[in-house]
Amino acid sequence: MSEWLNHPALQSGLAPFLAALIVAALFDYVRLSGLVVLAGFCTVVYLTLDFNFESLSITKKIVLSGLVAGGIAPLLAMLPDHWWFVRYVLGVAAGAVTLWVFWPVLAQKNLLDGRLLASGLTVWVVWLVVFSDFLSTQSVRAGAAGMGLGLGTGISAMLGASALLGQWGLAVGAACGAYLILQFMKNRSLSCGRTFTLPVSLLSGLLASAALLLARLPWYCLPVLAMIPLIVRLPIMQGMPIRIQVVGFSLLTLSIVAVSTGLVWYTEGTIPL
Amino acid sequence: MLRVTVCAFLSMMVLVSTKVLSALEDYVIDPTHTYPNFAVSHLGFSTMYGRFDQTSGEFSIDREAKKGSVKITIDTATINTGLKKRDDHLRSPDFFNTVEFPTATYQATDIKFNGDDPEIIEGNLTLLGVTKPVTLTITSFKCGTNPMNNKAMCGVDITGQLKRSDFGMKYALPGVGDEIKLIISAEGYKK
Repeated sequence: MSEWLNHPALQSGLAPFLAALIVAALFDYVRLSGLVVLAGFCTVVYLTLDFNFESLSITKKIVLSGLVAGGIAPLLAMLPDHWWFVRYVLGVAAGAVTLWVFWPVLAQKNLLDGRLLASGLTVWVVWLVVFSDFLSTQSVRAGAAGMGLGLGTGISAMLGASALLGQWGLAVGAACGAYLILQFMKNRSLSCGRTFTLPVSLLSGLLASAALLLARLPWYCLPVLAMIPLIVRLPIMQGMPIRIQVVGFSLLTLSIVAVSTGLVWYTEGTIPL
Repeated sequence: MLRVTVCAFLSMMVLVSTKVLSALEDYVIDPTHTYPNFAVSHLGFSTMYGRFDQTSGEFSIDREAKKGSVKITIDTATINTGLKKRDDHLRSPDFFNTVEFPTATYQATDIKFNGDDPEIIEGNLTLLGVTKPVTLTITSFKCGTNPMNNKAMCGVDITGQLKRSDFGMKYALPGVGDEIKLIISAEGYKK
């Protein structure tokens, strides 16, 4: 049994997928299916590391940020729809979280490099959070974007020499995949909201940033992956059956994942396991 | 005036005698002959070895008082297992997370002697921001004059063991073993 639990495919694929599938099915009745991201992420963290915060390293701060984002998102979902500025407040907060998470490393850099990295990573995370928030009422598009961001971050991080960050990203992607599959099976939309978009965008942003800063993820993967929340907003497949939309938008985001993967593969090759 | 002179003379004598009686000798690590090596099980099939190429620090020894101190700093980014791709992976957050934690330090809290020579070092290892006690065993200890440069020096061989999971390094457990064997060779020149 323990051999199974230690298998990377179960830790970052099957287990988060199943946990997310159960959560999506159960919480759809209270319109909190978006909790799939938190369910998938908690599963992979439990299986690969732990929730011990004795040494508050960057990876532990990412776990903490994911938990807090997943925890407060249902409360944010209750805010009135016409409070458009909440999206930008979340963006600013995500920027502050990015600086808090990566400050120990940014502070070690010289002034120019530190400022350049701090601004680049902050823009990347804020971009994802704000543009993903536009998708909070469109569960299929948000799900496809989440799957693309999770898988793209995960595969890129893994090839960029950090299997742990890679596994966490893949788990986010697997959870979003479960969310999409349930919509495909039911041929109807599930509830979405910030419960889904906030943790998926924040976690993907922070995981890719960590892979860039702490491992060897090439910086030019980030602008490629940043296209995902934009491409799913294309005015296509409107009015089509949910199943068609699930397949169509998934293929769209997976094509961007393929480009990002190709770039890292070209630069870094594979990692020795 | 005479009393002041006598007091000053006596104070100087006390200081000098304390220095002589304490017999404390301070050494600075020679990084070109100091290498912390480690051994870890790879999937249970074989044992993989690696080392850190850059280490600094100092130690002191007082054989008469049977006391000493050790402070070593290891540059974790200099990890070397003979394969660049694997070393890059070992530098990543999966293992040593060298960008965030560029050094590991070991500071002795107590040194136990067997006769005139130190035998056991008890101390704290700080790795990945976590500090835990680690006991090291000295298997060989020799002091003398280096015939190549005529400088006073000491050399030491040390073994030890730790669990990487104690320091939060849990990636790929149990495939990549939890028990890490340490084999350290170190030399230091007298200050």
